[in-house]
Amino acid sequence: MIKQLYIKSAAVCCPDSELLQSFDLQGSDIEKSLIPAGMRRRTSLTTRMAITAATHACAQAGSDAQYLASVFASLGGEIQVTDALCRLLPDDNELLSPTQFHNSVHNTTAGYWGILNKCQAPTTAIAAADDTFAMGLIEVWAQLQQNNGERLLVCYDELWPQYLAPPIGLTAFACAFVLSTEADQSIGAITMPQVSQLKQQSLQVDWVKLTESAPAAAVIPLLLALQDKQPGLVALNIKAPLWTSQFEV
Amino acid sequence: MDTIDNRHTSISPVAITAYSALSACGMGNKALSQALLDNQSQLTPLSLFNIPFPSFVGEIKQPLLAIREQLAEYNCRNARVALTALNDAEGGVRVAVEQAKQKYGAHRIGVIIGTSTSGLYETESAYGVLLETGKMPDDFHFVTEHAYQATARFIQLELGLTGVCYAISTACSSGAKAIAAGQRLINSGLCDAVIVGGVDTLCRLTLRGFRSLELVSSKPCTPMDKNRHGISIGEAGGLLMLEKRHADNNSAMKVLAVGESSDAHHMSTPHPEGRGAALAMTNALQLAGLKAEEIDYLNLHATATKINDSVESKAVFSVFKDQLPCSGTKGITGHTLGAAGAIETIIALIALQQQFIPGTQGLKNLDEDCQCQVIQDPLHKQGLQIAMSNSFGFGGNNASVIVSL
Repeated sequence: MIKQLYIKSAAVCCPDSELLQSFDLQGSDIEKSLIPAGMRRRTSLTTRMAITAATHACAQAGSDAQYLASVFASLGGEIQVTDALCRLLPDDNELLSPTQFHNSVHNTTAGYWGILNKCQAPTTAIAAADDTFAMGLIEVWAQLQQNNGERLLVCYDELWPQYLAPPIGLTAFACAFVLSTEADQSIGAITMPQVSQLKQQSLQVDWVKLTESAPAAAVIPLLLALQDKQPGLVALNIKAPLWTSQFEV
Repeated sequence: MDTIDNRHTSISPVAITAYSALSACGMGNKALSQALLDNQSQLTPLSLFNIPFPSFVGEIKQPLLAIREQLAEYNCRNARVALTALNDAEGGVRVAVEQAKQKYGAHRIGVIIGTSTSGLYETESAYGVLLETGKMPDDFHFVTEHAYQATARFIQLELGLTGVCYAISTACSSGAKAIAAGQRLINSGLCDAVIVGGVDTLCRLTLRGFRSLELVSSKPCTPMDKNRHGISIGEAGGLLMLEKRHADNNSAMKVLAVGESSDAHHMSTPHPEGRGAALAMTNALQLAGLKAEEIDYLNLHATATKINDSVESKAVFSVFKDQLPCSGTKGITGHTLGAAGAIETIIALIALQQQFIPGTQGLKNLDEDCQCQVIQDPLHKQGLQIAMSNSFGFGGNNASVIVSL
């Protein structure tokens, strides 16, 4: 049984640079050059953002994306594509775009990531509302328990129309990690996510506020612990029951 | 075990202590089993809502249970299908969960549900209001109805569970991937039991979307037939209670392994040689520690589109030659999308339990291209021990589930 997951890399993609600064985080904007033009035209902001983060995480970890199994975790996935299609449905005469239709599935980003990297390893797409990051870690944990090695975990959510579930989607944010059962070249480690006695009042207010509008920002306490090399309990979600992992350097 | 490469180790089986299917065949495993034995199509013209073209669908016609007041914000057709399947007395999933709560504790029981569109059907109506009035209706609850995890969370709250809970949404492989996740959660010690399955309900986006891809048949679908003409969409809820194995459940049927892979080819068209599909099946065999000849029956994905069936038959032939009896059952249930992996795993369980190979409803003349052994009419056969079920989704997302007596 594995006791810890080693973090080999963490990379953020967020188009809002001021937000990154306010949390003292490193990150990049969407990098168009990472996706070939033909694919770029067909992909949404959320897919490009997730692919930017994932590409950087693989590069930093020195992991070959062609052979890396992956978990894509997002509350809403391709919400903009789905929204655009839903707006056409009340009119029987509207024809849907076949590309937009297949791009509306939750595993769209996972699919394009596999095509881009010629990766035939398994990939999955999960969702768990406010617990999406915690459950993404759990899915990775269970996969690596069965089958040692590395996994790519990508958490992302894009801008949402504000009539759906305000304030969710006011900010777009993506983060990718390469997680491993091996300690070699790791930048930190986490224990198995568990429901914790941590009190909601002890959570950092700015982070909670951001995560209410950008679900993938749930990763920030772990990112800050990695950046500051600060061991301790890190929160993985913002609403009770709180899931936490112990971060170790 | 010399076929196991270094990326895969074998995996421990988990017990299936209860399961239940709600589909166009009606409520429960008996209704599904009877439709399979009769090889009777349940596809009918769509009556749930209007769409601007003719289509046959596998629609659940029976009344669905109501969501209780305390969970009203979860109320949608998807949750009602889930609740109706959960409470089905014959399948006994709810009773099994209650017993597991006593045995393991509410925090040790996970809920992993596959779905492709969750509560989108209600959201579609809400958009009608939005476009007319500029506002969503007051009873619109996106996160608890439409968002992917809504049905999984509803089941968790309905049952008073407090453990791991998430949705898997990988299009038409979702239900099969949920079974894979459940088995891993138990084997890794994160859960002692997991309710897994798939729930998907008919909606306009799916029908009109598949229509835009020119994949929807205007007549009941005919899998593997040389004149096949596309998909008949269906809806269903399939739930399975998975538990770690111990003396009490020794005689229960088992999930042996789920093999997964990606095509890395195209978002909506499978790899022409069925590369990813074949890899999912061989990965499943490797994880289960089985040889190809040890599988007794394969439930095909067989959606009845020209390309999907042709590619799947190539992939199946590459792994099993023409030695394995196969059938596609979407001519009976329709293609239940994110629920298909769960419903068709349950069909494989029924086949093992009742010792018959289901037929391929709608198949008249087998496509000459198809080299694998497709069974046309149900066939009673003794000695069936192990079965496989294939599910392949958009994004080239593939999963093959192996179950045994």
